[in-house]
Amino acid sequence: MSKHVSEWLNAYYDGELHGHRLQAVEEHLAECESCQAELESLHGLSDLLHEVRTPELVSPERFVSNVNLRLPHKQTVASQNKVLEFGWWMIPVGLLAVWVFVNTAFIVSNILTTASSLGVLSGMSDWLATGPASNVYLSTTVGQMGVLDGNGLSLAETLETFTRMSLPQVSLQISIAVLYLSWLAVWWARRMRREHGQLFEG
Amino acid sequence: MEQYSVATISTEDEAVLILRAQNGERNAFSELVRIHTRGVFNVVFHLCGDALIADDAAQETFIRAWQNLSSYRPQTPLRNWLYRIAFNAGMDMLRKEKRILPNDIDEMELHDERSGPETLVSQNERVRMVQKAVLSLPDASRAVLVLREYEGMSYSEIADALDIPIGTVMSRLNYARKLLKETLAPKLTVPAEADYVQTR
Repeated sequence: MSKHVSEWLNAYYDGELHGHRLQAVEEHLAECESCQAELESLHGLSDLLHEVRTPELVSPERFVSNVNLRLPHKQTVASQNKVLEFGWWMIPVGLLAVWVFVNTAFIVSNILTTASSLGVLSGMSDWLATGPASNVYLSTTVGQMGVLDGNGLSLAETLETFTRMSLPQVSLQISIAVLYLSWLAVWWARRMRREHGQLFEG
Repeated sequence: MEQYSVATISTEDEAVLILRAQNGERNAFSELVRIHTRGVFNVVFHLCGDALIADDAAQETFIRAWQNLSSYRPQTPLRNWLYRIAFNAGMDMLRKEKRILPNDIDEMELHDERSGPETLVSQNERVRMVQKAVLSLPDASRAVLVLREYEGMSYSEIADALDIPIGTVMSRLNYARKLLKETLAPKLTVPAEADYVQTR
């Protein structure tokens, strides 16, 4: 005898099986008394459930009138929900825009700094042509105090320049990534909740 | 199947009514209420197990539907959309009425401790026990069971109405029926036999 088909019996009983699955269940039922009894119990249960009758509404017309009386004048909730939903979907778009802006700003800044250090921007105003020297005052101070000298000082200056240039960019990128991942987590949680039957209000 | 199923109206006519209602025509909406009253009432009655609560929940369903009508999309049949709202309205109403309902329900004993054919319960008692058994199901499983058993909806329609995958419909229905069979096992007898025993 083939394997019991208990897991498919409800779908079979409800007429939801088709094709090979339907054939397999029918073939099994023909030879399995246990599954036949289970199918019979589904019939019995359904009969029992249908003993509970829905009462007649006293007056359907009065029901419609009551609903009419309670209807608010304006259909406002939907438009509010729409705005909220629109705002919700604008969050990742906004984060993406900020990310593009931040990266563009830093790329332009790096190009200008490099160009400045190469002397390409020598004719431009001082505020634009910022040199790396202004970024190493901490290392310079340490050097003046005699803590570092020679190669050590040069390494410290390089590290400080690199940190000063990269830290804001890295921090911003991390912040944007954290915000985006948070949005993604909330989106996923909402989706899972909906799938598990926590239905949204209509 | 019960008599409380979908009222007959062509899809085209209903679509016209929906459009008019979406444009704020209250008469068109009233017509939609008239068409779907019985279906919605049937669903909330079996979800809540009480006619008065069901009446309130059905009214609340249509009010919420009116408020949210502009968000309705014709890809979903209006009935499915209304039943989703009805489920939420029914659950909210049950939570509100919690103080009253459990006491009423708890008066009923689900498992008949007595044994033997002489103790088979009367029709009314059996109905109340079935109602209580259905009410004791988890909300999500009860919704699927009610839509299948009392509205005769297909699995895909239920999935659409409750916004869940078909696999989830199947598993919840299996679970609900399994629980009901366990709970109502002593009552899964032929009613005629029970009536016969009673008359003795």
